[in-house]
Amino acid sequence: MRRRDFLLTPLLLPALAMARDAVRYAAASRATRLAFPRDHGAHPEFRTEWWYVTGALDLPERDMGFQLTFFRSRPGRAETLDSPIAASQILFAHAAVTRPGAGLLHAERAARANLGAGFSATDCDVHIGAWRMQRSGAGPQQSLHLAVHDAAFAFELLLQPTQALLLQGDGGWSQKGPRPALASHYVSWPQLQVSGSLTLDGRRQAATGRAWFDHEWSSEVLGPGSVGWDWIGINLSDGGALMAFRIRDSTGASVYAHAALRAADGRLTQFGAHDVSFTPLGRWTSPRNGASYPVRMEIRCGPHTIRTAPVHDDQEIATRRPLPISYWEGLVIIEGTLSGRGYLELTGYANSMNL
Amino acid sequence: MSRLRWQLAWWLIRAQFLTRRTATALAMLAIALGVALGYAIHLINAAALADFSQAMKSVQGEPDAVLAAKDNAARVPLALINEIARDPAVAIVAPVIETRVRVDHAAGHTADQAAIHPGAPVKLIGLDIFSAAAVMPGLLPRQDGGSIFEDGVHASPALLARLQLKVGAGVTLTRGAARWRTRIVGELPAARPGDLLLVADIAWVQARFGPPDAVSEGRLRLMPGTRPASWRESWSGRLPAGLTLRAAADDTQRVSNISRAYRVNLNVLALVALLTGAFLVFATQLTAVAQRSTQFALLGVLGLSPRMRLLQVLFEGLAIGVPGAALGLALGYGLALAFTRVMGGDLGGGFFSGSTPVIAASLLPSLGFFALGCAASLAGALYPAWLNRVQPLAQALKTGFAQRPPAVHGLRQRPRRTLLIAIVLLALAALGLTRLPALYELPLAGYGAIALVLVLGIAAAPLVTQIVFGAFARRALSAPQRVAVQNIVQAPLMAQVAASGLIVSFALTVSMVTMVSSFRLAVDQWLDTVLPAPLYVRSKGMPLPQELLAALDQPAAPFARIERTAHGALSLDPQRPAVVLLVREMRRADAAARLPFSGPVVAVAADRVVVWISEAMQELYRLAPGQTLRLPLLGREVDTVIGGVWRDYSRQFGAVVIAAADYLALGGHFEVSDLALWPRRGEEAAAKAWLAAHAAGYGLDIAESSEIRALSLSIFDKSFAVTYALEAAAMLIGLFGLAVTLAASVWLRARELATLSALGFDRAMLTRAVMFEGALIAGIGLGIGLACGIAIGAILTHVVNPQAFHWRMELTIPWLQVLLGAALTLAAGVIASRFAARLATRLPAAQVLASAQ
Repeated sequence: MRRRDFLLTPLLLPALAMARDAVRYAAASRATRLAFPRDHGAHPEFRTEWWYVTGALDLPERDMGFQLTFFRSRPGRAETLDSPIAASQILFAHAAVTRPGAGLLHAERAARANLGAGFSATDCDVHIGAWRMQRSGAGPQQSLHLAVHDAAFAFELLLQPTQALLLQGDGGWSQKGPRPALASHYVSWPQLQVSGSLTLDGRRQAATGRAWFDHEWSSEVLGPGSVGWDWIGINLSDGGALMAFRIRDSTGASVYAHAALRAADGRLTQFGAHDVSFTPLGRWTSPRNGASYPVRMEIRCGPHTIRTAPVHDDQEIATRRPLPISYWEGLVIIEGTLSGRGYLELTGYANSMNL
Repeated sequence: MSRLRWQLAWWLIRAQFLTRRTATALAMLAIALGVALGYAIHLINAAALADFSQAMKSVQGEPDAVLAAKDNAARVPLALINEIARDPAVAIVAPVIETRVRVDHAAGHTADQAAIHPGAPVKLIGLDIFSAAAVMPGLLPRQDGGSIFEDGVHASPALLARLQLKVGAGVTLTRGAARWRTRIVGELPAARPGDLLLVADIAWVQARFGPPDAVSEGRLRLMPGTRPASWRESWSGRLPAGLTLRAAADDTQRVSNISRAYRVNLNVLALVALLTGAFLVFATQLTAVAQRSTQFALLGVLGLSPRMRLLQVLFEGLAIGVPGAALGLALGYGLALAFTRVMGGDLGGGFFSGSTPVIAASLLPSLGFFALGCAASLAGALYPAWLNRVQPLAQALKTGFAQRPPAVHGLRQRPRRTLLIAIVLLALAALGLTRLPALYELPLAGYGAIALVLVLGIAAAPLVTQIVFGAFARRALSAPQRVAVQNIVQAPLMAQVAASGLIVSFALTVSMVTMVSSFRLAVDQWLDTVLPAPLYVRSKGMPLPQELLAALDQPAAPFARIERTAHGALSLDPQRPAVVLLVREMRRADAAARLPFSGPVVAVAADRVVVWISEAMQELYRLAPGQTLRLPLLGREVDTVIGGVWRDYSRQFGAVVIAAADYLALGGHFEVSDLALWPRRGEEAAAKAWLAAHAAGYGLDIAESSEIRALSLSIFDKSFAVTYALEAAAMLIGLFGLAVTLAASVWLRARELATLSALGFDRAMLTRAVMFEGALIAGIGLGIGLACGIAIGAILTHVVNPQAFHWRMELTIPWLQVLLGAALTLAAGVIASRFAARLATRLPAAQVLASAQ
């Protein structure tokens, strides 16, 4: 498995331990053929799902990073409760803006579905209050609309595709561990054209840039012994896209790894666990919790070797909701055999993700 | 020079305190009492209010706005909660379902275990942990207490202690027919010590007790930078009928409004105590000035300016006021502390019962009350100070104190007509004030009228004295009597001072007695109409158990007749306490027999919904019988017709009655909470036993109408306890004033009395003369006081009570009590004048006469 699932685990830990037997979650299946826009929508029968947009802006400031993530969790609680507001589906959202040299602004929300929040099961349309991620239109005219309002920052962005969807793994079935049972459904949409507005310090400014959209749902991904993961999604400057991840054990060794490179012309190359490696080059130590994140990383995928250079060292996200937990997620400049801008995610460095 | 002056001032003050120890101490005490009462009332109420809003905050949090239904039977639809949540100006909507449930041990237990914790209803709050964390942190369950999404409830520590339960215990929660068998899975660590609360996940509460697809309230936190008032404004137009967006500040306002009238009334009583304090200062300072007239005249001849003579008396007044006020603050603080320890924060108004507030003194109000005490004593010293300034020195040196300074010497010669016109004008002004409506919902004009009546009484005293004693003087009287009468006629200032003290104190006493007894009689009669059935059953704040209602429907139930009532609350104005909605099982035609109408009953077309409103509601919302009233019923606006106005002494903020049939026709759910029961003839005892058996373990109130009546009246009496105490204090002060002024007048007339004894008046005759004088003054004071008291009683009954509490009643004068009180006071007055008489008989006649040469 991969990212934010762990964010949910502290809250749901006791629930998951007990609920697993009682609740039958759907399992990611290699045989499933994804259909859109239906599969842009939620899959509430799965345990975990997220819609994740990261991007690098050129306006109002070059290399400004932003991200908005909605998580859906089915804790396996109150499933049979006869109430429209039973806490059987819970939504979380994180939003962040990185200003190079200045730091990271972060905000979060949480709500149960149907009580100030909601999602569609037929298309990408998920919201918590006024925070929203919604797809509309068809074909080349389609777009994703993002809205975030917080005291410190706000953005309203329109994301328009320049390329087709990128179905990760085998037609969107993405293996996450040595066992095929550990898998998710995983759809990416790189190279989205960004336009809209960003409000900082009460000042609203026009914003443009490039973004990456991920949508992933699963019920079981992280195997025993895994403590965290490193992940990156890069919009290459030549129009290509690279996604790579690895799952780590407590010694820092890779348990599983995978990468996919789609060239600007659409040719897709997949790299297996043996062809992908992550090597820390430089670390940044969090003054908040002492965690040491390998924010300068050398990543090798087959013939390609790239290095990450964060636009700002401190892009650690310390969330309070539902429990204090920290991870690093931020905009990095990519140099090496490929170049571009991507979002790097490093988890399990501050807290062990041991399930 | 200046230092010398200060020193002189100080010597005079000290001498004054030493020679008039008792009088000064009593004046000081009276000031202290007034300050203490006012200050204590302020402290208790401030603490109770703070406590109440604290409790409110802990349960409700501090939202920027609260979305709620105006009718407590109506709900906020989920769809609206979700719509408002999507407003970018909204940071968080915290939905809440609040209900009351009965808590029992898990099923299978017997009645004796139920008796361990008589099932008084407990507040159950269903909340959404995600939003509650930001808005109502005081309600959050302990983190390690297991998941709040599970089947289970969290209990406040106080509730666990009350129920003698531990975390893990199985409980059954019941509300009407709905039942939830669950488990106490954790505590509420942030609950306040006295909070009796259950908290569970909102979805579980909804699934077990409803309402479906809706919640009780949405508590909102807005984004920073959003102005809550304008945001609420922007939404209030778009809300469905029957819903309201109120500010959290409205709640505090409402709580404050609840006790405002009662508080103001108590403060007026405290003011009365302060006024009597001022009167005592007046009396003592006046006698002091009189007794020292020769002293002052001498000082004047030696160069003490008239201004300094004036200031000296004011200083002496302050010297009484400052320690008095300081003592009052300490006393008031102690009083408030003791009061809240013993009785909680309820001053007898019944508004804050159950709270245990913490008394905290703050600087500004304390200074205010201190200043008030000083001002009262200064005001009392004002006239004597002026009199001292204008004393003609030569005359004072020769013949002593001039009771009337030369400037006003003409007053006695002034035609009676002028005085009469002044009195008539005063009376007209007082009458006019009683016609004015309430100001800021307080009977301020009424209080003004009361003050005018008192002034009127005092002003009329010389006139009455002249008329009465003029008549007396024409009669053949014994020598002591003639001396007394003559003396009063000749030196009316002292007589007036003594009389006005009695006028004020007796008027206040008579008026309170009149008001209270009118009120009590009215309540007594009212209870007859509102308690027609022999037996009553009531559950507090929740529907009656279904089992009981079902059993009552069986033919075996020994009742000839049953009338059911349900309670609701309608919020017609967010800043006012909700109006009580009574859904009563009765036919329209029976209305007149069931409700104590105070006016005409209007016939209403059968196709219209008729409601009957209480007097309080009529006055608060300016309604009239026959008028169409739009009520927020069941989540929508319903046009009703007011069929009549009925008297209600129990719900000060208004009540509206609707027939159960009409309510059901509107789609309401009749959740019975009260029963009026008529046992079958001859089966009264069986009926009580039947009820006891069927209602056991539900924590219901079962009472006979006689018990309810007795309880109501005892609550009534208790709430006027403070009033009685003040009456007693006023009477004591009045009597003391009489004694002090009589003594002063004896001292002033030392030469005259000495002459009398030289002429052959023996001790008994002198005593009789002085006592008779006391009796005459007391008689005049009591007579005028009685007249003023009845007038003030009428103002209290017909103006103050309706305006402050919306209680209307007939005026009943308790003649027996009043006359008995007058006789007792007269007797006490005569006894008090013995004190002065003793002074007269102990005068060393020869010495006095010798020194006079």
